[in-house]
Amino acid sequence: MNAVDIRNLSKTFKSSLRAKPLLAVRDVSLQIPEGQVYGLIGPNGSGKSTTMKALLGLLAPTSGSCHVFGHDSLKVDSRKDIGFLPENPYFHKHLTGEETVRFFGKLCGLRGKILKEKTKEMLDLVSLTAAKDRRLGGYSKGMLQRIGLAQALVQDPRLIVLDEPTAGVDPIGSREIRDLILSFKERGMTVFLCSHLLEQVQEVCDTVGIIFQGELVNQGSIEELTSIEEQTEFILENASEALLHQITELVKSSSDATILRTGKPKTTLERLFIETARSRNH
Amino acid sequence: MTFFSPSRIWVITANTFTQLVRMKVFYFLIAFAILCAGLNLLEFDTGATETSEQKLRSVKSLSFFIIRSFSIVFAIAATAILIPKDIEERTLYTILCKPVPRLDYLTGKFLGVFLLMSVAIAAMSLLLNGIIHYHTVAAMVEETARFHTAGASEQTIALRMQELSRYGVTWSLQYASLAILMEATLIAGVALLISTFSSSTLFTIVSTVVIFFIGHFQADAREYYLSKQSLGESGGTTYLTQLVAILFPDLQLFGVSDGLLKGKTISLAQMGQLALTMLLQCGMYLALSWFAFRKKEF
Ligand SMILES: Nc1ncnc2c1ncn2[C@@H]1O[C@H](COP(=O)(O)OP(=O)(O)OP(=O)(O)O)[C@@H](O)[C@H]1O
Ligand SMILES: [Mg+2]
Repeated sequence: MNAVDIRNLSKTFKSSLRAKPLLAVRDVSLQIPEGQVYGLIGPNGSGKSTTMKALLGLLAPTSGSCHVFGHDSLKVDSRKDIGFLPENPYFHKHLTGEETVRFFGKLCGLRGKILKEKTKEMLDLVSLTAAKDRRLGGYSKGMLQRIGLAQALVQDPRLIVLDEPTAGVDPIGSREIRDLILSFKERGMTVFLCSHLLEQVQEVCDTVGIIFQGELVNQGSIEELTSIEEQTEFILENASEALLHQITELVKSSSDATILRTGKPKTTLERLFIETARSRNH
Repeated sequence: MTFFSPSRIWVITANTFTQLVRMKVFYFLIAFAILCAGLNLLEFDTGATETSEQKLRSVKSLSFFIIRSFSIVFAIAATAILIPKDIEERTLYTILCKPVPRLDYLTGKFLGVFLLMSVAIAAMSLLLNGIIHYHTVAAMVEETARFHTAGASEQTIALRMQELSRYGVTWSLQYASLAILMEATLIAGVALLISTFSSSTLFTIVSTVVIFFIGHFQADAREYYLSKQSLGESGGTTYLTQLVAILFPDLQLFGVSDGLLKGKTISLAQMGQLALTMLLQCGMYLALSWFAFRKKEF
């Protein structure tokens, strides 16, 4: 069974009577097998958050359907196994960090000793133990993001949905979050995330979907998406100047091969992203 | 998955209560205490020619007016901000993404306001009891002294004391406070219902205030219609008046404190009936709120 099964999802927003309805997501289908990390990338306003909200039942699909572990997203049951971190999370500012995590733990049915342990574990996990007794009104943006992550994970969900998990988090913190995501994957959790930080997406995701103006325009494993069929890349370690010269000469002597570029390896997902965006703009 | 889980509702209720307390809403209790004490002192300085009963009545009248106004204003304001605040703080997303049915969420929030109002009204009523007790005892002491100098018999004095104590701390006094709580709860129910479909807090507050006034005049309006009816009007209006009677709260019913001031005693049975009316109507508002909130998108 797929952890996430979105079929032909479309969502239109009717804002006012006169304005034209806005098609935020059109005919998006995506499946995430259990245990995979899926990254959704796309420019601002392309419908990433809308897709996630539909998956969580916060929005009702205009057409199509969303299922989580076989449960319809519009039913409460589907939410038992999901942890969600919304974009720019914010919570009751009068509660302390610890109270917030406890509150969400209780909502998931945790009580007593388990709740206490879980709360502590989560606060440790997001390194907020030192700030646990401060009210959220005084938290910084990155700290709120961390509390959001702690709250999402409190009931040990099988699927975690992260809407820009590293927005506003400092480089060290965002590295920590990346490591966390990798550890979720090791534990067999399914992760569905969206982010603008393509480098990070490339590092953690098994599969990537590119969404553009509400349409899923490209989807596949990182391998598939980023390899260019008619090109071959050598990545050499400790190659001497002489060896490089030899290789160049060798290529020059061949009739159809040409060297396009030599240098240090670069992220290629970024290039793909920009190319897709450019070709869609025409 | 249970649909209506008391323990989950309690979690939300307790959270709402804490949230409201930390928003420092209880500060108005201090304002209440000062207002009550201040106004009552003033009252006593000027009304030198009043009888003891009149004095006690005016103390009650003023205090109940203040308690009632505070409760209604509080019920409307606190309930109207509940959902918008959660949307603004984006807590609603995270709460509804946990396995929390929307009905549980609404019920929990509503009960949170109810809990807070109960505590606030209990505190105000405790203070009121104290004030009334103090004035009754003072009046008793004063009158006993007066009777003694006039040479009245012990029996006359005892009778007079009994009469005075009816204006003091009585069950009816407590019932009147309880009726205020019920009225405030009902108004909170209306505010909750409106806030589930209104797009601004201001709209919620204004419409609830309008309904509050309708609630106070609907009994008169109904009587007027019924009297017209008996003069041979069409049957359509009866359905309309019945619908109005069901949808809008009849707040005149809850004016127990007014009756008390006119010297009526209030029976437990009467309170039971009021409680039943309130529960049914609140249940209806909650059901309607859920209906509007069920499919709401965020
Ligand atoms: N509640 C709403 N009402 C009306 N329009 C909306 C609503 N939510 C989103 N939209 C519109 O739907 C489109 C997609 O928005 P969405 O939030 O999904 O974008 P996104 O991909 O998450 O962008 P970002 O990277 O900026 O977070 C946007 O054009 C947005 O204006
Ligand atoms: Mg977004």
